[in-house]
Amino acid sequence: MRRFELILPESVDDCVRALAQRGPETKLLAGGTDLLPQLKNGLLKPARVIDLSGVARLRAIEPADGRGLRIGAAVTARTLELDKSVRARYLSLAESGALVGSVQVRNLATLGGNLCNAAPSADMAPPLLALDAEAVITGPKGERRVPIAAFFTGVRRTVLAPDELLLELVVPTPAPHSGGHYLRHTPRRELDIAVVGVASQLTLANGVCTKARIALAAVAPVPVRATAAEQALEGQPVTPDRIARAADLAVEVARPISDQRGSVEFRRHLVRVLTRRTLITALARASA
Amino acid sequence: MSTVMKTTRDVKGIGLSIPRPDGPEKVTGQVQYVADLNPRGLLHAKLLRSPYAHARIVRIDVSRARALPGVRAVLTAADIPELKRKAPTRAHAVLAIDRVVFAGQPVAAVAADEPAIAEEALDLIDVRYEVLAVSADPLEAMKPGAPPVADAGTEADTSEAQAHGSVAGVTTEAKPAKAVNISQQARIQRGDVAKGFAESDVVIEKTYRVPMVHQGYLEPHAVLAQWDTTGFLTLWSSTQGSFNTRSEVADVLELSENRIKVIPMECGGGFGGKIRALCEPITAILARATGRPVRYVMTRREELEAGMPAPQVIIRLKTGVKRDGTLVALEGEAILESGAFSGAVLAVSGVFLASLYLWPSFDVKGFEVLTHKPSIAAYRAPVAPQTIFAIDSQMEQLAKAIGVDPVEFRLRHLQREGDKMANGQPWLSNGGVEVLTRLAEHPLWKKRAEWKASSPKGRLRGTGLSLGGWLGGLQPTGATVRLNPDGSLQVLTGQVDIAGTNIALAQIAATAYGIDIDKVRITTGDTDVAPMTGLSAGSKTIYTVGVAVMEAARDARNQTLEIAAKELEASVHDLEIDNEKVVVRGVPDKGITLAQIGKKGNLYMSKVQPVLGVSHPAFSQQAPAFCAQLAKIEVDPETGEVTLHDFVVVQDVGKAINPLAIEGQMQGGAVQSLGMALTEALTYDDQGRLTNPSLLDYRKLTSADLPNIETIIVEKPSPHGPFGARGVGEPPIVPAPAAIANAIEDATGVRLTHLPLSPERIALAIASAT
Amino acid sequence: MAKPVLSCTVNDEPVEVLVQPWDTLLDALRERMGLTGAKEGCGTGDCGACTVHLDGKPIASCLLLAMQARGHAVRTIEGLGRPGALHPLQDAFVRHGVPQCGFCIPGVLMAAAALLTENPHPTEEEIRYGIAGNLCRCTGYTKMLAAITETAGAAAGRRS
Repeated sequence: MRRFELILPESVDDCVRALAQRGPETKLLAGGTDLLPQLKNGLLKPARVIDLSGVARLRAIEPADGRGLRIGAAVTARTLELDKSVRARYLSLAESGALVGSVQVRNLATLGGNLCNAAPSADMAPPLLALDAEAVITGPKGERRVPIAAFFTGVRRTVLAPDELLLELVVPTPAPHSGGHYLRHTPRRELDIAVVGVASQLTLANGVCTKARIALAAVAPVPVRATAAEQALEGQPVTPDRIARAADLAVEVARPISDQRGSVEFRRHLVRVLTRRTLITALARASA
Repeated sequence: MSTVMKTTRDVKGIGLSIPRPDGPEKVTGQVQYVADLNPRGLLHAKLLRSPYAHARIVRIDVSRARALPGVRAVLTAADIPELKRKAPTRAHAVLAIDRVVFAGQPVAAVAADEPAIAEEALDLIDVRYEVLAVSADPLEAMKPGAPPVADAGTEADTSEAQAHGSVAGVTTEAKPAKAVNISQQARIQRGDVAKGFAESDVVIEKTYRVPMVHQGYLEPHAVLAQWDTTGFLTLWSSTQGSFNTRSEVADVLELSENRIKVIPMECGGGFGGKIRALCEPITAILARATGRPVRYVMTRREELEAGMPAPQVIIRLKTGVKRDGTLVALEGEAILESGAFSGAVLAVSGVFLASLYLWPSFDVKGFEVLTHKPSIAAYRAPVAPQTIFAIDSQMEQLAKAIGVDPVEFRLRHLQREGDKMANGQPWLSNGGVEVLTRLAEHPLWKKRAEWKASSPKGRLRGTGLSLGGWLGGLQPTGATVRLNPDGSLQVLTGQVDIAGTNIALAQIAATAYGIDIDKVRITTGDTDVAPMTGLSAGSKTIYTVGVAVMEAARDARNQTLEIAAKELEASVHDLEIDNEKVVVRGVPDKGITLAQIGKKGNLYMSKVQPVLGVSHPAFSQQAPAFCAQLAKIEVDPETGEVTLHDFVVVQDVGKAINPLAIEGQMQGGAVQSLGMALTEALTYDDQGRLTNPSLLDYRKLTSADLPNIETIIVEKPSPHGPFGARGVGEPPIVPAPAAIANAIEDATGVRLTHLPLSPERIALAIASAT
Repeated sequence: MAKPVLSCTVNDEPVEVLVQPWDTLLDALRERMGLTGAKEGCGTGDCGACTVHLDGKPIASCLLLAMQARGHAVRTIEGLGRPGALHPLQDAFVRHGVPQCGFCIPGVLMAAAALLTENPHPTEEEIRYGIAGNLCRCTGYTKMLAAITETAGAAAGRRS
């Protein structure tokens, strides 16, 4: 690790002020599970690091005035994994948190860090996409909200301006008879990173699917929704044939690359398999 | 609760499952590794490494780095006069002089007050490279005209390879002209294979490929170096062989060996990756340049990029059999990619391919090929897992092709003691038949049809087994055994204890001398004080050092009895040692305690000699040791994921000195073997750069990926090992890749020949077969 | 820049120690406080050798800056037990012959201790996942499972 100046804000306002004075090469630090390896590898050489661990507001999980749940950006993956209010209605999000790294990493890694690092394989992105979540961002000009679908702009790029801070995610309450599931494929059962990740979320009414969301990780520069597959499911009962058709449509949205974690062929193959499997589970959960 | 160490009057030590005496220190974090040493004035070293696999160094400018406050030395090759113009071995290539031959090769070295300052200093070193064409693939590198790796005329270091080769009795061939990157070549032949294939009913030809893998020890290479004012160098090193390290450093620095002391610290894993000097020379040079103690600890990234991995092995194997199961002919070509310096044990591969089973005719060629990658060292049974992967997979397929039981097929053709090996030497006594037979009796093997038939919807179940082993190692060694004035025993060797061998050696000493294990203390000495000894590698520590300790203990016992005989005015033959006392048999009152004898050898004006047992043996015969493994698996055919439900390891250990320690070796070796089978590979791009330099993408198996590893110990005593013991460390890493490949074929019908057997390979193979 | 002061609790003792801003908690423990039980095996959170407890939770101390531990309670292997007064897990590890090279052991013990505090009667699968963040190259994990299972007094269920 190279040397840097460390700033220790104690409130959101402190952070915003520190960012405004940032100068070049300032990085925000939450759990450190992505940032520290990048610092150690020399991929990033910031002159200043702002530590968010002293800002309690960022770790809060609270109801959002009857509209859903507010999850602070510095909530850890482990908290997401175990928190009752997250598990009750947003099980796919809890599942994605549970898959990150290992327990030693999950106790540090944050939801905000996962999103702001914006790797194409970010596990928590697909469930948030499938749940129509909104990012709440703050900066010198105040707060703004961005739908999660618009949050990512490229590989490791988001809409955050250099003087802005991700505050929290607001996840709307799903309608009754909703269910979701997140699955990913990794070569090992732990300490691994998604070759492909898929989140599916279904809402049923009178046996008919009123809302379908399918979101994919690690198959494009940003997490993507398979909208054609979603539309093929909405308005009708969800049958095995329609699930299979949706899985095929999801493959068409995927634009994976071949890298050492997986080839294009394997990733496309996995999109089909994992879309099918997550839809089956989402359906079972929505029907329960 | 306190630690229970079993001692009884009747059984002195051999065969007891005694926990290692350093257990309490290890579980409390008290044991010291090199990186835990923090002497006053310590400086931290960092190395600047080449980003290119093959390049000419045009210019290095270190001026900005030298000017950074807190930097105490910045060195390039120009600052080190001892560097040989053409480095004969990797250890000699301390810093690249004018050419780099692998990505990660050190080109400059920094010592600074803090690691962070040293890292920033690296950023300030300007190197201009002229990038050259790369030999990144061994098959391409073998061809005439390929970009050359070694300097023309450099003497490739074939010492280890020749040592193994001479033991295996394989002849070396002159290499064809112009194939500049073929650094070793060998051929073994018997009979007429062309005729054999013509007579065969079934011929199977496949190419098996195992990538380079890293030994995976948790503790990276680390060394602390300090010179005293007389020019004497002390090295605290994480090493498997302190004497070998001393010799290599002495050669590189052109110092006399008795001007260097190597203190082997607790070694956090080696498995062959720490048998050679690597970081010691440059750290010593930085310590000399600064006049301060310097510590260098490799980062994990450096370990993966620039360690000393296991070679890539590509084996083309063609085998012919008759429909009645008779083996007819075997033709093989083994290519071992050694990286930038020679060092592969070529002969081992040939011997295992053609000698495990009896082939009336065979023709096996072996090539060691240099490429622009980090040079290899050994990895636990070097080349054996890769070779057994090929021959055992092939035997399994042959059995299947002619419809015979795979165990019977192997047993029928397995060479027995006295049969001629491929090199003309006779197979020595071994337990190959016994371990395979024992494994075949296991319920998991007997009930494999039921397991397969029970496959749930969407999953495929199967079982596979394989047989492998290791020829065993040899190295001269020595040990001393001292009787203390209080009657306790002190055993000294130079052997680094990486496998729990010290407790076994203590058990051997206790039994051979005639004393309880808790009266025996075993010490690993540094190169100044200990008798010469070899590497803690090659599955030979108990086999060789065990003999030395046993004989030294017996020597000490004889001396003790001689002294007692004089004191008691009795014949030596009438004496025995019981309960820490030498007594006349049948006359329990007539005796003298060990403490009294010990004191007599140490008192002022005493005329009695101190008891000092000594042994310094050399050995001529190895003790082969076999291991058979079984994998019971379930495959998800859509994702290719393999779940290991059960895994069984059956191993012949000759005589189990300490079953608890042996089980640990069997389980650990098996999991390394499974890693090679399922998830591990160092992957390089076509420019010779490593694409997975982290433990995220260099995947070692976690506890969540594994079941309990069941161990079954078989004892077929070796003629020369202590109490019949054989080496234990290497056999368990050998069979798993073949066992897994056989299990996958059983479950899915698909035969895979390219490791690792990743989910992608499995899923896509199944998809294309359906 | 002046060195910041890290104020926290380490192994139940209040601590004030000068650190560098870029020190990780692992660096601070090992180099500034002489607590060398936690090890660096990779520096990137991929091996678990650096596992310590932060407010009772197992974390990768190579990924936390030392100053991020301010005001928190840290426990290292040195605070789990000592020779002569071993924690039951440590004692079980010794008797089962778990440690070989020993490098991973402090991290595994800290992960296992945290697991048993949170889940006193884990299944075999839960134990395996509880220490899945700790790589071991010597043992193959089987004896660790036996030692942890014995300590938990749990009936190790078969993986489902």
